[in-house]
Amino acid sequence: MSDGASTGILDQARVEFDRALKRNIKGLGYFTSSAPVLGASPKDRLLQRGTMNLYHYRPMSDEVYRVPLLLIMATTNRGYIFDMVPEQSLVEYLLKAGFDVFMLDWDAPRADEKHLGIDDYVLDFLPSCIERVKQETGEDDFTIVGYCFGGVLSALWAGLHPDAPLKNLVCFTTPVNFSEMEMFQAWSDRRFFDVDRLVDSFGNCPADYLYTAFDMLRPGARIAGNIRLMDNMWNDEFVKSFRMFDRWAADMLPLAGEYFRETTKKLMWNNELYNGTMELGGRRVDLGAITAPFLHVTAIHDHIVPSAASAPLIEMIGSTDKEAVAMKGGHVSLVAGGNAIKRLWPKLTDWLSERST
Amino acid sequence: MAGTTPTDPASLFREMLGQWENMANEFGANVLKSGEFTRVMHGANAANIKFKEARTDMMEKALDAANMPSKSEIADISARLHRIEATVERIESMLSGQVGGITPSEPPRPKPKRTRTPPAKAAG
Repeated sequence: MSDGASTGILDQARVEFDRALKRNIKGLGYFTSSAPVLGASPKDRLLQRGTMNLYHYRPMSDEVYRVPLLLIMATTNRGYIFDMVPEQSLVEYLLKAGFDVFMLDWDAPRADEKHLGIDDYVLDFLPSCIERVKQETGEDDFTIVGYCFGGVLSALWAGLHPDAPLKNLVCFTTPVNFSEMEMFQAWSDRRFFDVDRLVDSFGNCPADYLYTAFDMLRPGARIAGNIRLMDNMWNDEFVKSFRMFDRWAADMLPLAGEYFRETTKKLMWNNELYNGTMELGGRRVDLGAITAPFLHVTAIHDHIVPSAASAPLIEMIGSTDKEAVAMKGGHVSLVAGGNAIKRLWPKLTDWLSERST
Repeated sequence: MAGTTPTDPASLFREMLGQWENMANEFGANVLKSGEFTRVMHGANAANIKFKEARTDMMEKALDAANMPSKSEIADISARLHRIEATVERIESMLSGQVGGITPSEPPRPKPKRTRTPPAKAAG
């Protein structure tokens, strides 16, 4: 072996020894310290009704775009994925870029909210929030940005209200062809899955059922993730990021019973949105009636909403000003973390700023 | 990232871990999406629900015998309280908007101007 090679091995051994020492020291700190505070951007709660919360983030500039922006979170998770920590917060990024930001976020539905169905979310919660945003800003126009199932709710609302002053509609990783969600399709197979019994017995669909289902989508990820955490325990940035995302992923919400039943039957079993047969409040949802500028961003490595499930949305929307973008990343890394800061956030602000005056 | 040598065992381990994860995800997904797995999983869920229903039923009878309220009765009371709280909150906000005597806890913050325009794009 040459001298150069043996020096290289020695250097590598020194690095690994140094990391092993840090792992032991910082590992103790990991178990004794608390996780970073998430979702702490200053905000005011404008509306609270059971599971529904509407927040208004305090502007960070003296001059904002005319059109307010309403973020709509998926009903399974907490909205702080958009507001992790300073410098890693989409909300903060939008505020600094001059947007007036509101967020429709969810709490766990209470036992007496088990009767809430999709129409309660689309025809009651969303319109109430939109009305409150109008009151607060004095503007009729507004932009909606929906993430995952928040995007489904947004598209359903927009499809039912083609004459509303919706200025822009943005969806992130929003499924529309539910027959392409292979794993969820298999698990909700109507031959084996008695959704009525589950809802009738539990009231609301328990969060741990949903957490287990999401976890099982990638059976090796949890073990490999924990080994990687041990390996990177010396790296403060890695540990901080791991804790943020792990906490968010584990912080799942139960789903209102009727809402879960309808989602299973109308979307997973009958694929009604894709087939154009979905009705809410006695009215047919027509995505083709949406004419507001539309942006759909999907993630190439999305294991929760595969491209085949989300890609057809762009064709179904009636707008002439519409764009579909497939970005590198997964379902979560598309909207938060280093990947999002580099890719999605600048794209979103560029696209919106031209359409928010 | 620190430089690696061809014999670096740590980097080999990391590579192996990545490969194992991909294999486990692929193999696991194939097993987990099979009809057989779904049947077994929902069979276990059904048994769990049945057990829960039997336990709830037994508990309700025991609480009834002890002259104590059941979980569903407590949930009903809690729901009523929430509705009362929501109503009080609505009345309070209406009053604070209409009656001068009630002052808001914070003075209203100045609102930003809504006149921002997009930044000019660099010529290119």
